[in-house]
Amino acid sequence: RMTEVGLRRSSLSTMAFTSVLLFICSIYSCYAQAPLLMWTSDGSNMPHLAQPTAGQTVSGGQLASYLKSALSIAPRNVLLFLQDKLSMEDFTMYGGVFGNKQDSAFLNVESALQTSSNPLVLPALDWSASHSILELLQGELGIPAVQIDPSTLKEIKLNTAQPSLLAVHLPYTVLNMFKSQDVPYTAVYTGLKPSRVIEDTPVMAGHSVGRSLLQALPESTVKPPLVINNTVGQPCILLWADTLLATYSGNQVDLARDIFNGSADTAGSVCNNTLSRLVLNYKNVLNLRSLRLIFSMRKIFFPVSARDWSVMEQVVLEYDGQRAIFNASSGIYSPAEYSFHCQSVSSAQSPLLVPRSATDNATMWTLSFTDFQIQGFNVTGEEFSYASDCAGFFTPGIWMGLLTSLLMVFILSYGLHMIMQLRTMDRFDDPKGPAISVPQSE
Amino acid sequence: MEWMMNGHAILYTGVTLAFWTTILIVGICYTIFDLGFRFDVAWFLTETSPFMWASLGIGLAISLSVVGAAWGIYITGSSIIGGGVKAPRIKTKNLVSIIFCEAVAIYGIIMAIVISNLAENFSGTTPETIGEKNYQAGYSMFGAGLTVGFSNLFCGICVGIVGSGAALADAQNASLFVKILIVEIFGSAIGLFGVIVAILQTSKVKMGD
Repeated sequence: RMTEVGLRRSSLSTMAFTSVLLFICSIYSCYAQAPLLMWTSDGSNMPHLAQPTAGQTVSGGQLASYLKSALSIAPRNVLLFLQDKLSMEDFTMYGGVFGNKQDSAFLNVESALQTSSNPLVLPALDWSASHSILELLQGELGIPAVQIDPSTLKEIKLNTAQPSLLAVHLPYTVLNMFKSQDVPYTAVYTGLKPSRVIEDTPVMAGHSVGRSLLQALPESTVKPPLVINNTVGQPCILLWADTLLATYSGNQVDLARDIFNGSADTAGSVCNNTLSRLVLNYKNVLNLRSLRLIFSMRKIFFPVSARDWSVMEQVVLEYDGQRAIFNASSGIYSPAEYSFHCQSVSSAQSPLLVPRSATDNATMWTLSFTDFQIQGFNVTGEEFSYASDCAGFFTPGIWMGLLTSLLMVFILSYGLHMIMQLRTMDRFDDPKGPAISVPQSE
Repeated sequence: MEWMMNGHAILYTGVTLAFWTTILIVGICYTIFDLGFRFDVAWFLTETSPFMWASLGIGLAISLSVVGAAWGIYITGSSIIGGGVKAPRIKTKNLVSIIFCEAVAIYGIIMAIVISNLAENFSGTTPETIGEKNYQAGYSMFGAGLTVGFSNLFCGICVGIVGSGAALADAQNASLFVKILIVEIFGSAIGLFGVIVAILQTSKVKMGD
């Protein structure tokens, strides 16, 4: 891309940069930035201005004031080269800067950088300013910009008496044309938006500063939870699930598909101080005319733990006049102040939902909820409280293994200790005395 | 306490300190974050398999009994062998102490076989489907194994020390042996008590569906 611009050594050698503004962003406090190169054909008229200090981000206003003063002295034919995406790294990646390469397109850039007082950390141009540079130049010169493309390239004839502003969306080669017409010009090369953004993430717990380099912007498209309001309009039940799969007579449906975008039918939901019932109504799923999925939770005070617990007693499916009831009180419970979360609530694998009896209609259904979170009490907004997870730190298997292995290690260490403190009786040993003799007789 | 001054003592105190420090810090963290409800003893007792408890009981029954027997034989045996050097007549008579120690190991293996015969398969996987009888079976087998194991352990040590004294006294004066044998009989009865209680504990065990 860069070489197509025609900024070859032969053309640059005829110009001399007297003042080059290069903007490079510093690594750690970065916003989206684009570099801006400005030079003139004869190279002697660029004014020396108050140089921005190293690391400074030049804003649109400062750029405007600089351009105003620059254009009062420099030739009034302005060429604006707009690369669609440009960042400082592109100069080294594509332009061969600082490599002593033979085909480096930016020799003068290199020499200017070497002579500047601080070649490593340079001032930066905020990219919203580079975006608006076209408007700045138009306002400064007082004329509209002429957009250039290859078909009109050959026909351009400039009137040197009047100022002109040509905007070139790269990549096109126009400098040779200008050289052939011998028109003095001022050229500005910048990018419309940065080709790579170094993200400015605040240093939070868990993020190290090094990881912020070249990180893709995170997506934030998580669906919000389903909120049920009580009779006075306050939220009182919250539900979130990745999928709510229900299987009946060979067909399966994901009941979570359309309920988190605001179109859920929750008629029949009730909540008061001790009972919360969430009702989801569906029509024409699984070849059934109507289906209701009901989560009923109760707040119970258990005296041994002396706190309120929210226990989901039943998950009920009402379909076409019949009912299937799953008992859930053995697995789905949490302290009433917290929400309940479980990665897998299912009636099949390690079931938290068991049919109420062996003859219940629930034996014909299979439910499988993934990434399920529900809160029936103490809801104070549209966000869940702390989630008491169904999975503890150690699984029962880990506890059993730990218990038996620790017991055996203890036994081993006790035995080792005993053996290691055995001493041979050497009280009567006399290495120089006679050997012991045992009489043969009884 | 010369043995306290060596590397073993440092190792033991280090391990104990690390263990209790971990327990303390974990407990404090759970308390201050209001996660005390996570410390659930009932969950531990119902989620761990009854088979683990039963197997632990069987293993401890035989192994602790054997430890007791071995310890006793080691104590008695060294004395008999040592005393027999100068008084060879004690060798045959004092073997009865060894037999008392060995009986303790026999109690242990008999109880281990009896307890292991009580373990049956059951088809439940959740606390409700496993049922109370299976949990009771598991815990009873664990308790019985502990009972017989520990009582045989201390019985074996007791008989061993008494037998050692008997052998050395017999080497000095042959008429002392019979009196000391009575002490040994009382010591041996302890192991029998343990066996009886273990039988009682497992009498109501009914594992299975």
